[in-house]
Amino acid sequence: MLLESVLVGAVRGGTSLVFATLGETVSERSGVINLGTEGSMLAGALTAYAVGIETGSAWLGVAAGMVAGAALAMVHGFLVLRRGANQIATGLAVTFLGLGLTSLFGQSYVSQGVQGFSTHAVPGVSELPFVGPILFDHDPLTYVSFVIVPIVSFGLFRTGVGLRLRSAGERPEVLETMGTSPERLRWLALAVGGGLAGVGGAQLATAFARTWSEDMVAGRGFIAVALVIFAGWSPAMTIVGAYLFSGAVAFQLELQARGTDISIFILDAIPYVIVLVVLAALSRRRRFAMPEALESVFDVQSSAP
Amino acid sequence: MLQAPPRRSALATLDSGPVRTAGSVAAAAIVFALLLIANGTDPVEGYRAMWDSVTRDSNSFGDVLVRLTPYLLAALAVVVPARAGMFNIGGEGQLLIGAVGAMVAANTLDQAVGRGPTLVCMAIAGMLAAALWPGIAAAFREWTGTNEAMSTLLLNYVAALILAWLVFGRWKDPAAAGYPRTRILDDVESLPLLWGRVHIGILIALGAAVSVWAVLRYTSWGFRLGVLGGNAEAARRAGLRTGRLSASALMVGGALAGLGGMLQVSGVEQQLRPGLMSGYGFIGVLAAWMVRHHPLKAILSAGLLAAIAVGGNGLKIRAGLSGASVNILMALMLLAVLGWGTPRRRTV
Repeated sequence: MLLESVLVGAVRGGTSLVFATLGETVSERSGVINLGTEGSMLAGALTAYAVGIETGSAWLGVAAGMVAGAALAMVHGFLVLRRGANQIATGLAVTFLGLGLTSLFGQSYVSQGVQGFSTHAVPGVSELPFVGPILFDHDPLTYVSFVIVPIVSFGLFRTGVGLRLRSAGERPEVLETMGTSPERLRWLALAVGGGLAGVGGAQLATAFARTWSEDMVAGRGFIAVALVIFAGWSPAMTIVGAYLFSGAVAFQLELQARGTDISIFILDAIPYVIVLVVLAALSRRRRFAMPEALESVFDVQSSAP
Repeated sequence: MLQAPPRRSALATLDSGPVRTAGSVAAAAIVFALLLIANGTDPVEGYRAMWDSVTRDSNSFGDVLVRLTPYLLAALAVVVPARAGMFNIGGEGQLLIGAVGAMVAANTLDQAVGRGPTLVCMAIAGMLAAALWPGIAAAFREWTGTNEAMSTLLLNYVAALILAWLVFGRWKDPAAAGYPRTRILDDVESLPLLWGRVHIGILIALGAAVSVWAVLRYTSWGFRLGVLGGNAEAARRAGLRTGRLSASALMVGGALAGLGGMLQVSGVEQQLRPGLMSGYGFIGVLAAWMVRHHPLKAILSAGLLAAIAVGGNGLKIRAGLSGASVNILMALMLLAVLGWGTPRRRTV
C-alpha cells in the first residue's frame, strides 16, 4: 500500500529531523538562530558512531554524540553571546568547522561497520493494522523522539525555566529588570538545542544509515532550521514538519521503486521545493509567531509593515 | 572651545582592524595545528605540505589564482545583497545555474561563431540564468515576506539536482563510458589561457571586484542599497522602492556568482559533472564575512581561502588527510575574525 509505506518511510527517515528541528526550536525560542545545527548533527553522528564502535555500547555513543553536538553549539554560543558576532555568519562557520572536524577525525571510521541500533517492534501495538508498522516498528531512538517532543513542549510552556527561556527570546529587557540574565538562558537553550541535534545525528549514523561517511548529514541540519519556521516555533509542530519533509522523500523513493518515467533527480528535488513553497505560503502568518528578539538577526530590514 | 582629539597610544594603534585580523588568522592557524597534533599528524609537516603545494612553481601559484576566481565572485555575490541588509547563502546554487546557463548558450551556438562572441554569449547566458535563480527568493521575499537566507539556502539543493538531472540525462555524453558528465567543451568555448593553467577569468574576477566597489561607492544605486541596508524604514519613508531595490541586489549578486560558474566551467572544468564546484558558494560566504563585505578586501580573503584550498591538496597527498580537513582552518579563521576582528565595542 503506497500510503502505508510512505508513512513508514516518513517516520523512519524523519527521526533525525525531529530531534534537530526540536533542538533548533529551543534555541530560537531563546532568541538565537543556530545554522551550526548542521555541524552539530555531523559531530553527533561521528561521535556516536566512533564511541559506539570503541565501547560496543550504542547508548554510550548516543550520549557522547549529544555532548559533541552541544559542544559545537557552545562554540556558536561563545561567539554570538560573548563576542557579539553575527549569528548567521557564525552558524555557517560552525557548520563548516563541524564538517572539517568530522572529515579529519572521521577518516579512519569511513565504511567501518557498527553494531548500532536495530528495530524493535513494540509487542502488541505493532500488530495493529496500519498504525502498527508506521509507529511501533522502529529503532529505540525513534521511540525516544515520540517522548521527547511532549517533554520539550511541557518544559517550554509549563515550567518556570521554560517561561524565562521564552522571555529571553521575546523581551530580554524585561528579564533583565527582573534580575535574570537572558544570556544564561540562551546558553542553556543552545546546549539543549545542540545536544538534540547531536542525538539526531547519532540516530542517522547508528540507527538509520548505520554507517559513517563524510558529510553524511547532507543538509538535514539546514532543513531543520527551515522547518522551525514552518512549525511556527512550536515544539509539537516540529514533528509535523519533519515528517512532511521525510514523507516527501519517502514518497519519491516509493515512486522510483515502482518505476516512473519522471527523472529521479526531479523527484529528489520535490521535498526541497515543498519546504520552500510551504515556507513561502506561511511566511506572512509566521512573522507574528517569530520570537521578537530574532527579528533583528534574521531580517536586517525587519521593520517591514 | 574645541578640544584636541585624544592622542592614540602605541597600544591603541596595535588594536586596529588589520592587526586584529592578522592576529585572528594566526590564532586560527595555531588551533588548527593543535587539532592536527590531536589527530596524530605532525603539524610542521602538515603546514609544509600545504606551503609546498602552493609555492612549488608558477603552476602551483597559478592554481591559487584559478581557484581565487570562483571564490571571489561567490564572495561578491554575498557582498552586494549584504549592502542592502540581506543574506545570500545561495552562492552554491547560483554558481551551478550560471554554469548551466553557459552550457545552454554553448550548445545553442554549436560553435557557429568565433571564440569571442561565443564566450561573451556564454557569460551573458550564465549571468542571466543565475540572476533569475535568486530572483525566486526575491519574489518570495517581496510577495510573502519569506526570509531570503532560508530560501536561497534551500534553492542550493534544487540547483544541484537540476545539474544532476542534466548530466545524468539529456546532456550526458555517450562517449563518457558510463560517467555522468556532459561533452567536453570545444576550443572556441574555452577561455584563453594566460600561462600554464591560469585562464583570463582571474582578470575578469578582479575587474568585477573593482566594479562592485566603484558601483557601490559612486552610483546612486549603490547609495540606495546602502540606505536600505542601513535603515529600511528611512529608505521606505524617503520613497525608495525597497522591494525592487532588494530584488535588484539579490539578482546582481546571483549574476556575479553565475559569472563565476561560467568562468570555472569554460576555464577549468570544460564540462559539467555532479559535485561541480561543491562548497565554493559557502567558501564565498566565508570570504565575504572575513572582510566585512568590503569588495576590494574580498580579493585578499578569497585569495587566502584559495591558497588554503590548494594547500589542502598537499595535505591530502603528503599527509594522507581528508581534503575537507582544511575546512577547519577556513572556519576557524572566520570565527576568529567574527569574534575578535574588530576593536571591542561596548555592547549592551
